[in-house]
Amino acid sequence: MSPREEVYTRHGGKGGDRGKILAEMMNAEGKPEVLDDILVLDVSSANFAGIVAASFFAEFGAEVIKIEPPEGDPARLITPFGVTVQGVGVPFMFEGRNKRYMTLDVKNNPEDRKVFARLSKKAAVVIESFAPGEMDGWGIGYRQLVAENPGLIYIALSAYGQYTDKARESAKMPDTDITSQAGSGLPAQMGAPPNEPEPYTWPLRGGMWAGWYISGLSAALGGAVALLHRQNTGQGQMVDVAGMDSYSSMVGMPATIGFTWEKARPRIGVLDFILYPYGHWKCKDGYVAIAAPRDHDFRALLKVLGLWEQEDDWRYSSDRIPDILEQAIHLHKIIEEKTLQFTADELVKMALNYSKKSARSKWRGGGVPIVMKLMTPEEAMENKQWHIRKAFQEVEDKKLGKYTISSNFVKMSESPPRVKWVGSEIGGDNEYIRKKYLND
Amino acid sequence: MEDYFSYTAKLFNPDEADRKPEALKGIRVLDFSHVIFGPIAARLLADYGAEVIKLELPFYGDLWRPATYWGKYWKHSNPIWHNITKNKYFLSVNLKLKESKELIYRMVKDADVVIENFAPGTADAWDIGYEKISKINSSIIFLSCSTYGQFGPMRYFPGWDLLAQGASGVLTLNGYPDTDIFYKLPDYVGDFMPGNFAALSVLMALYHRKKTGKGQYIDMAQTEGLMRTLFHYTYYSVTQKAIGRTGNVDPTMVPAAIFKTADDKFLALACATSEQFENFTRAIGRPELSSDPRFSDTLERLKPENAKALHAIAVDWIRSQSCADVIRLADDKNIPAAEVADDYMIANEEWRRKRGSVVLFKDDVYGNLVIAGPSAMLSGTPSRTKWLARPLGYHNRFVLKKFLGLSEAEIEKLEKKKVIGTFDDRPGLKPPVYYDLSKDPIYNYGKEVGK
Repeated sequence: MSPREEVYTRHGGKGGDRGKILAEMMNAEGKPEVLDDILVLDVSSANFAGIVAASFFAEFGAEVIKIEPPEGDPARLITPFGVTVQGVGVPFMFEGRNKRYMTLDVKNNPEDRKVFARLSKKAAVVIESFAPGEMDGWGIGYRQLVAENPGLIYIALSAYGQYTDKARESAKMPDTDITSQAGSGLPAQMGAPPNEPEPYTWPLRGGMWAGWYISGLSAALGGAVALLHRQNTGQGQMVDVAGMDSYSSMVGMPATIGFTWEKARPRIGVLDFILYPYGHWKCKDGYVAIAAPRDHDFRALLKVLGLWEQEDDWRYSSDRIPDILEQAIHLHKIIEEKTLQFTADELVKMALNYSKKSARSKWRGGGVPIVMKLMTPEEAMENKQWHIRKAFQEVEDKKLGKYTISSNFVKMSESPPRVKWVGSEIGGDNEYIRKKYLND
Repeated sequence: MEDYFSYTAKLFNPDEADRKPEALKGIRVLDFSHVIFGPIAARLLADYGAEVIKLELPFYGDLWRPATYWGKYWKHSNPIWHNITKNKYFLSVNLKLKESKELIYRMVKDADVVIENFAPGTADAWDIGYEKISKINSSIIFLSCSTYGQFGPMRYFPGWDLLAQGASGVLTLNGYPDTDIFYKLPDYVGDFMPGNFAALSVLMALYHRKKTGKGQYIDMAQTEGLMRTLFHYTYYSVTQKAIGRTGNVDPTMVPAAIFKTADDKFLALACATSEQFENFTRAIGRPELSSDPRFSDTLERLKPENAKALHAIAVDWIRSQSCADVIRLADDKNIPAAEVADDYMIANEEWRRKRGSVVLFKDDVYGNLVIAGPSAMLSGTPSRTKWLARPLGYHNRFVLKKFLGLSEAEIEKLEKKKVIGTFDDRPGLKPPVYYDLSKDPIYNYGKEVGK
């Protein structure tokens, strides 16, 4: 059965059109591209927040020109363990989506700045990550460009933002992922509890670019709001994203808890500060994630694991999310003793069987404990779910050959994002751009 | 020409933000969603001026209402929920009853966006799914949020941020190599990040609708949102090796890690470019390192054995300095560095308040609360906070009278039938104990209230 047929046959429901609607969402090809009338100039330097924001616009159909000096954006060499394909780093390959590449050295060459200014008259969006005020000093900052193009949306990325005394004092400090993570509060919440040995008790870096991707996403979101305003009024504006805000502004918890509790939360390892059980456990052949946070889910989990005798323990009957660490760890260990006796598949099956029965139960008292086999990114790539949903895509660069990216991050019935091509050749589109935008 | 920072200070002046136009003014959103993933998408739209009506079950409400950190409430409310659901109208109707559906169908006629995050298929089973709603309003933008998506063999699996982190592979990346020590990303960021993706998709759909008049259906799977942020898949496809866990070291730059200082504080320091690396070698008084053949070339420097040697030099130097000294030097020499900020620092640092990325908000019902500001500052149509979360059913009268033109008698009838309702005595649902709701003109909208 093809994936398309599977969707048809299994989602028919009440004889309605839902199955058909969903089947038509499986492919993006041939559908309109929402930003097909938008030109974006990405002149960011050594900053993946800028590159990522530009990618999102490109995936929604904008013409995105990556502008870099002849030797290339230093971001090309920001890559795990120095791995490149013909000199292009992996993250740069990953983000090289639907983009054009032009060489202009706005940092050192006044003539190139003039070309940039001419291009920006035709642009809807400019993205940059130089030190705050630097572009302005070169005569191609927001206030100069917007005078010529009132509809321009100018997205600036930096460590501390474009205004305030702090921004002025620290204007020259570049923005990177790990400093953005640290400065905006992510590592402070991750790490072993205080009773364990160093360095595991240290604040821990998120093992992905949480800082840069959150900044990039925030920049694209702010830019999209600005695009709607521009569509309605013709007016552009400046969008200012600070790496030192990224995580804390997105999740909101640090600011409010720091105020109401008047102190910082400790690091609590694999425990959670609101939900329990809500984390991962070791099992016979790997790890499982278990989420059974509601009272009836928790009780169901106790039954599934054969731990029902714990149910009337005063410690867990009404308060199993204590800020008393010993108590929380105690329960964690009790559950671990059980999970270690089973394989991941066995645990998943046990929970599923229970949930099926409880979902069918007239009394609905059973709860739904969720158990899932933990996957590495490499294992996730094998999952049939993502094949059917086309979450991964094999792409081919003219020079770099074939590789795999994650794409199609949202399915939309009318104007979905998509990756049409990948590319990364420095100056590869100089001719195309000059002809299309700089002939007059 | 005027100094850049005085120009931007005026351009972004937080005191003037409330008087600037709102980009999403006139957009009406019906928010059926609960917990974090759906509600945060709706809140982002509300922050930019959309009118968001949040629907909750009477006397029960959103599952996240009582879910506060270690059970610590603030004025009988969940302090962190304010940030997740501010700026919304709180309507409490029982979605499963026929009369409630009639109300919803009437509201849908004037709505632009509907957001839900029930288990896939549930909204359709209740006749409030895209199929039904798009028949009433053909230009509706309907966003369905789920962990694994609306189609595919895993669609019915229930999910939380944890499961999305587990299914995408994010969860296994945060920890130390060759150990069992790893953690999920904190603070349900596996809900917040995909929630931002979802809001971005809705904005794109609104843009498309303005151009073509067409609404659309959006299927946002939070796992796919997280997967979009991992280049680990590409690394694997190119090298047939996994990046895996690298502890506190970022393997894409060197030095780049979290370090301990002489005064036992923690800071992150990174050199993303050759220029920053040279600045670093001069700052630590070892300029010869930038011409060392192991380190002079960026890609050579990143090779595991060389990176390890350089990291060790950085560890030793930072361990001999105070945190403040390193940051000061980094500021001077253009090297990225930041002290590891915790809750207390983020809530209290002056520059964040001045910037507006942390806000002391004065609310009519709850008084002063510190909340996070937006993660992107817009000079023309800034995000803003108008009010915090409200008790369950707080806007029942306001929404039904103002938006649907119902009379007081009709509303009382609906109350009697339990089609609409409010809160019970549980914290998270009810108003603060000192607050007299009978005198609140919004709660009693359209009725005489004692002054």
